[in-house]
Amino acid sequence: MKFIKDHLTFIFPMMAILLGIEFFLVFDRTTSSYEEGLREGYSMFIVADKELNLAEFQKLNPHISKSTPVTKDELAQEISQGISKSSSEKILQALPYFYNIKFDTYLHTSVLDSIKTSLETDERIKKVETFGNSYSASYTLFSFIKFALKAFVIFMSLVSLFLVVKQMEVWNYAHRERMQVMEIFGAPLMLRSGVLFKVATIDAVISTILTTTIFVMLKHKWAEESHLEILKQMQDLLFRPFDFFILLMTSLMIVIVSVYIVVFSTRESSQ
Amino acid sequence: MANNIVINASHLTLSYGDTEIIKDAAFSVKQGEFVFITGPSGSGKSTLLKSLYGQIKPTAGKLVVGGLDMRTINSNKLQELRTHLGIVFQDYKLINEWTVAKNVVLPLIIAGYSMDVQETQAKRLLKHVKLSDKYGAYPLELSGGEQQRVGVARAMSKNPFLMLADEPTGNLDEYSSNVIWDLMENACGQLKTTVLVVTHRIPSVFSIPYRHFIIENKGVYEVH
Repeated sequence: MKFIKDHLTFIFPMMAILLGIEFFLVFDRTTSSYEEGLREGYSMFIVADKELNLAEFQKLNPHISKSTPVTKDELAQEISQGISKSSSEKILQALPYFYNIKFDTYLHTSVLDSIKTSLETDERIKKVETFGNSYSASYTLFSFIKFALKAFVIFMSLVSLFLVVKQMEVWNYAHRERMQVMEIFGAPLMLRSGVLFKVATIDAVISTILTTTIFVMLKHKWAEESHLEILKQMQDLLFRPFDFFILLMTSLMIVIVSVYIVVFSTRESSQ
Repeated sequence: MANNIVINASHLTLSYGDTEIIKDAAFSVKQGEFVFITGPSGSGKSTLLKSLYGQIKPTAGKLVVGGLDMRTINSNKLQELRTHLGIVFQDYKLINEWTVAKNVVLPLIIAGYSMDVQETQAKRLLKHVKLSDKYGAYPLELSGGEQQRVGVARAMSKNPFLMLADEPTGNLDEYSSNVIWDLMENACGQLKTTVLVVTHRIPSVFSIPYRHFIIENKGVYEVH
């Protein structure tokens, strides 16, 4: 019973850390696709005296990733309905150049403002039209949700880390005498801490497998059975095989650091 | 080891913080000698013993064990030195989760000997200390005297050049104490291991020649 309790008191906080990390990874992936949608949906409308290509726009700001000219023909046709062909040609010639520009990433509204300012300072550009209000509202809401989740994950990981350290203190107490005896007889660090590494590594692997199982179940069973459209849409993003390695590496890193803390604190207290 | 001197101390001072325990001590021990160190409680006997296996570093003077200066020794050299020492403790310091046999061969495990060698040596040593029937038992299943015999067997398992014992019979009855003294006499007399024992009282019957140091007023003096 004590054996099981000893393991669970390490496995549970470790799982909490790993769940936090996996939630973070999933959230990052799902928000990335949402960010991509927001980025795709946002553009600036440029009115210019002269014809400009993408390279010229990028000289003005490197965040500009795409410029699409708005064809003037349709515009001229609409304006010149009912007037003569020669007048229509004159209107077409007099019209400025129109462009839709898009950006390489999801930008903060202040960055968009500075891009607008830098574009307006160019003498070839007559007007820059932005769609700030809706974009700003989306950006603020989105940033707040992201911040709240990150803060929660960090807080949960910190609390769990304290629990892991607490368990380390228990191990320290349980293994202190054995490690001190081995040290007196000249055992190298790896030999005297071998049992701790073995136990902690097994617990870390178990924690990783359990966390992975939860997310695999979430992806393949609960997401399908939930009838929630958003979960179904995001199903592919819920867990990826590479996540297992990230979780395993993280748990092993925590084990290595924790065991070394125990070993060195035992060593100091024996001297 | 120059002139077969295993331990050489000169102007040796040992302290805990600002408190000096041993001051300006000088003594030497040759290979194959049996040495008793006695003194009243709190005189610094155990402190002196700890300094011999590097648990405490000298604060002044010189202490050389097995040719190594214990003041300047680095952790790797100290680790290496400890693998050539046999240490016996008053409270046995056996690993309770390990069998008696595994405890006995701890120095061999540390040295990386094969399982076959460990098994053979464990059987031989347990026979020597008359505990053959306790091969697979755990320390807490043994009496105090039996645990100390395991401790002595562990100390002898790698044929150390120096055996250090801190009050080895302090917790034992007379019969068990005599068994331990016999084993230590045997280690020194037959195996030519240098033995240094810290104790309150020298046994009344002791069949091999020995030297006796006493610790008094922070000094170490030989009793002739």
